[in-house]
Amino acid sequence: LCEQVQVLPTLSICCIIMSNQNRKAPHKKESILELNKLIDSKCRVKCLGGRELVGTLRGYDELVNLVLDDADEFLRDPEDHNKITDKKRKLGLVVVRGTQVSLVSPEDGLEEIANPFMASEEEME
Amino acid sequence: MSTRILPLELIDKAIGSKIWILMRGETEIVGTLRGFDDYVNLVLDDAVEYSPDARNPGEICKTELESEILLNGNHVTVLIPGSGPEDSLAASS
Repeated sequence: LCEQVQVLPTLSICCIIMSNQNRKAPHKKESILELNKLIDSKCRVKCLGGRELVGTLRGYDELVNLVLDDADEFLRDPEDHNKITDKKRKLGLVVVRGTQVSLVSPEDGLEEIANPFMASEEEME
Repeated sequence: MSTRILPLELIDKAIGSKIWILMRGETEIVGTLRGFDDYVNLVLDDAVEYSPDARNPGEICKTELESEILLNGNHVTVLIPGSGPEDSLAASS
């Protein structure tokens, strides 16, 4: 029996242990992203594909689908879709698909700084 | 507001009315929402697709999809109930 246990890869043993725990404890909705702290505050949401939105977070679910109120979309450079401009367009009350979300961050407490890496490059030269 | 809105409930409320969908790239679709599923695949009626014209850069190509369509939820990024304000691609074409 000991020999058989050694052959089993460690990962599958961990999975067995975890599933036993879930049966005993009640299912808890757990996310490493605490969106309840951001409710009713302005959030910046970056999507896969480059879209950027800013709006007031009114709701969310465990799959990170979001409800944003008074949302604005930041428009990208028509030539280069990787460059973001300052132009915005109003969207209003929107749902953002969790599968397409790459970043959610609060808008307050954010400021743009000069590129710190550019300065160190100049020093090296 | 202490009660939070569930995203899928908001989509459910939009069934029967116009909805504006932003896809992952530069494509947008406006149509009447007939229904959706867990993956947010959508059934839209009288849908109109607005996408950048590949042949003329800077132009929008408008395609009227005449029948009821099934829109794959894979690249659906933003859903906006209502047919969109004046800033939409729809308004500019």
